[in-house]
Amino acid sequence: MADSPLFRRHPLASSVDLVRWLPSSTASPSGRLLAAAVHDPSLGSAGSSIHLFPLSDTTSPLASLPLPSRATALRSSPAALAAATSSGSLHLLPSSFECDAAVAVPGGAGFHVGPVRGLDCGGEEWVTAGEDGRVHVVGGGGDGRVVARRVWDGKGMSGYEAARWASPAEFATGGAGCGVQWWDRRKGDGVVAQCSGIWGRGIVTGMVHSIDINPSRKHICVVGGSSGTIFAWDLRWPQQPIPLSGVGLNGTTEPVCESEVWEVLFDPYTQSSDIITSASSKILPVMMCSEDGILAVVEQDERPLELLAEACAINSFDIDPQNPSDVVCALEWESIGVLSRGRDTMAEDDNC
Amino acid sequence: MPGMPTDGGGGGAIVPFRGEPDQGTPSPPAVRPIRHGVAPPIFRVYISWSSGNLLQVACFRPPNSEGRGRSEEVAGSVVEVNFGCGGSGGAEVEEEIDEAEMRRIEYGSVPAFALLQSRKNALADAAAMSRMSSVPDYADWWQYVLEYSKAIGNLLGNPDSPLAFMIEDPKTILKVREKPTSLKAAWELLEIFYVDKQLQSWLPERLVDWLADFDSLLSGTESTVYSKLSNFQKKLINLQIIEDDPDYWNGLSSALSVGWLDIVVNMLRFHGSYQLDQMDNRETENGLVEAVAVLVSTMPRLRPNLPTGKLGQCCKTRPDFVKAWEKWRGQVTKLECSAFWIQCGHQKTRDGLKTLLHIMMGNIKELTASTFHWLELFASHFLYIRPFTVGFEGMHHLAQKCIQLKPSSGTNGLTGLVIGVLSENPEVVLAECTKNFGPWLVTHAMELLTADNDYADTMLHEERPNLGGISIEELHRLVYAQVLCSHSLTWQIAPTYLSSCLNQGLGLLEILLLKQPIQDNRLVLKTLEICRLYELDDVSRNIMKIAGIYHWKHGRKGAGVYWFQQAHDKVRLDRIAQQLFERIGKSVTDDSFKQWEGLLELLGPDIGSAGGLEFLHRYRDFKRSLQQALAGRSGEAARQTADFLIQLMRNPSTPQRFWLPLLHDSVELLNCKPSPLINVAETTLLLNKLQELSLAKLRPDFSNNHLPSHALSSVRLALASNLARAILEDP
Repeated sequence: MADSPLFRRHPLASSVDLVRWLPSSTASPSGRLLAAAVHDPSLGSAGSSIHLFPLSDTTSPLASLPLPSRATALRSSPAALAAATSSGSLHLLPSSFECDAAVAVPGGAGFHVGPVRGLDCGGEEWVTAGEDGRVHVVGGGGDGRVVARRVWDGKGMSGYEAARWASPAEFATGGAGCGVQWWDRRKGDGVVAQCSGIWGRGIVTGMVHSIDINPSRKHICVVGGSSGTIFAWDLRWPQQPIPLSGVGLNGTTEPVCESEVWEVLFDPYTQSSDIITSASSKILPVMMCSEDGILAVVEQDERPLELLAEACAINSFDIDPQNPSDVVCALEWESIGVLSRGRDTMAEDDNC
Repeated sequence: MPGMPTDGGGGGAIVPFRGEPDQGTPSPPAVRPIRHGVAPPIFRVYISWSSGNLLQVACFRPPNSEGRGRSEEVAGSVVEVNFGCGGSGGAEVEEEIDEAEMRRIEYGSVPAFALLQSRKNALADAAAMSRMSSVPDYADWWQYVLEYSKAIGNLLGNPDSPLAFMIEDPKTILKVREKPTSLKAAWELLEIFYVDKQLQSWLPERLVDWLADFDSLLSGTESTVYSKLSNFQKKLINLQIIEDDPDYWNGLSSALSVGWLDIVVNMLRFHGSYQLDQMDNRETENGLVEAVAVLVSTMPRLRPNLPTGKLGQCCKTRPDFVKAWEKWRGQVTKLECSAFWIQCGHQKTRDGLKTLLHIMMGNIKELTASTFHWLELFASHFLYIRPFTVGFEGMHHLAQKCIQLKPSSGTNGLTGLVIGVLSENPEVVLAECTKNFGPWLVTHAMELLTADNDYADTMLHEERPNLGGISIEELHRLVYAQVLCSHSLTWQIAPTYLSSCLNQGLGLLEILLLKQPIQDNRLVLKTLEICRLYELDDVSRNIMKIAGIYHWKHGRKGAGVYWFQQAHDKVRLDRIAQQLFERIGKSVTDDSFKQWEGLLELLGPDIGSAGGLEFLHRYRDFKRSLQQALAGRSGEAARQTADFLIQLMRNPSTPQRFWLPLLHDSVELLNCKPSPLINVAETTLLLNKLQELSLAKLRPDFSNNHLPSHALSSVRLALASNLARAILEDP
């Protein structure tokens, strides 16, 4: 069971739900920083927090932000680190990482009731989308406070699981059964396009867990969800989602996994196999992690490249934006893993 | 399990359990007060285990108690009681390994266990297929077990690895290492005796190595070579002339008697005669010390190899060893009889070195004097007196003799385990493991016990009626699975163990899965993934239904419908449809329909799966189309709307209470000029429906639609005029 030198596991002694790289513009002397949402059920409500720690020493957090309940979403932006919780609250930690300076929007009737899994930063503002069907845009109120503005209240008719900004005026949401929705704030804060997706195993509709939008091609969403499904949705052809992986789906090569795809991200490190035509039609390579422990890169019409096959679920991962060869992932068995993709691995892949 | 508290008492308090004084309960039961906030009298108490250590206690008052007539009193409440990990375990494992570390071991052992089980199953299948060729497959089964054993041994820590990169003080006697755990010691012991066939003939040397690694664990209650040496280490800094201290020589002879040759040679070099300023005066003395050191470092050992840093010369075969041994013993005797001793001026050095030589010559008196624990004496016998000891019987005799000479005051789990192994008694081994090392070790160590031992194999796998028809192996796996289930982080690995239990495992697995919390969608999906792996489709459908009801009740209608759809639960979807119609019937404004969009999208194009909700989908299409028709006044949209209307009215799943609102909405459509949109047959259908409606109005269960009172007559008028125009148009 010796790990390869390229992959290291660091036990954390509590459940790790989410993990993110922190932008290294805020670099500390101790090197690159990670943020992890941890949860220790033996401590009850005091057991949930966000830990910030250097990559070199995962055992002693530099800072710890207590949360009222288990974290459901975690994102970092150059200005702040944001976490949403299962009780519907949002917590913003400024990039100085002084926990006293953290501001929070409490959960409840005025904001979200229940878990908020959709969270993303679009420049100045944060979008939150909860399982209660509400969508909020949270921004500064001008006097140092944060103000949450309700964009939509679905009154529980649909529940959101993911949200992603495309441009300062547009964002995408996804959820249980409602597929992917495209919102345009210039058109009266409403859904302007919708796609129920393309799901494997003969099911009509699945649950969207994660959405990513490539900053260089803002009209394409890549979506990960139930039953190992990954598809891309091009706004220019909204009725024709492009399947990338899924069980029993036509048009995809063998499915990379059969269980829930928890997170998807465009992978800037993997070169598209087809550089000449990639500018026009092909979907760029996408990294995914899943409940059955797979971390892989999938590409349209290509065999998936499996990076990790763990014995336990990979709940979350993040690609270092400054150094995209490094990937950090949160493993179900109370640990985080750091994968460094070097030139050697790429050479090996070329051979096979 | 319902329970009835006694009447009277302290006004309805739950009466604690009272042990019969005569029968003498060993310890009084722990009483935990629960604040349930329900005023007495309490009529009924329900107790059930929730997930993990959570106990749910529900207390109810009598259903129709007059109770002074105050309605604001709570009629009942459910309290969750969390039982901490009360330290009553008593296993020594828990003292030295904290909970998080133990969980790390539990997680890590899953892949190795699962791999071994699948190999076992594959072999069993192959054997069943062809009974003839099963024998050679089983011959190297122990190698698979050894691989498994090594994988798990690595998880338990590596005592050989230095704690961190540090500059070692040359005066360090005992190297600073990761603290060994008794769990690791027990595992290695079982591996040495039960699995590793390759090294069987070097068993005595392996025991010596084992003792060197884990001697510190025996020091807890009694003195050992390790504790003596670590005490001397502390004293060493303050010593001016080392060789004058008796502890120096005692430490040397103790270390030599248990075969820690590297330590002996290192310690001998501390001798004062090595110092440059004394070299000249003590030349002979130094020569003797060095000669002993050389003899120590060339001692023959009956083993294939030595780890780096350890001393001695390896002999792989017995003849080689006998030859080397005789030569070496000759050198030792020669030195002992040498004339140089007379020239050695330092009395203590002379005596000390002679003791070392006597130990090397196998002097039983010296060996007994310089060892402390019986296991140390046991090991010294292998090294200097009986290097060819083989077979459990001989070892057991020797152990008995050593215990007589060095009676052990405290009982330690490890010594019990050694005696159990040597007496060839798997029952004792199992009992010692259970008592001292907890369910994790027992469950995983059973694979080692049965690796090459037919008796243990039958004993553990035989189904026993007194255990409810399960085997001892299954019993211990079930116990371990229960331990895993009691923690919300480890329950996910319990299915691996439950699925390896043929008799009761699957039943317990189903119960475990159904008991998981369903509040969080992600946790539900994780549970469903386990259902998928074990092909428990019924269980997964039930979980989806439970989750659906939970979300529906808490106002998350979309999530509720989603789960019911996934569960293909037509009955509940139909019920939900009825409830939705109630709401929709009251608020069919065009704006509020926007909120239904998400839900309708959920129903998807495959309406069949949505049960009675299919109507909502069609209704939405009709509404949308009507809006377009009225706004744009385009003929095409109006025609399509009329089609939708007819489809809706024809469809039997359209609830009757929507007939009139539908028709009322389309009055303007019916009056549409110039040509009628609905032909004669269709108009007749609508008129029939209207007639049916008028009759139904007389029935008591008819629901009013909050439409204006003239609605019926205006619809009738519009239909009549449409019929007239349609007849004229009809060719």
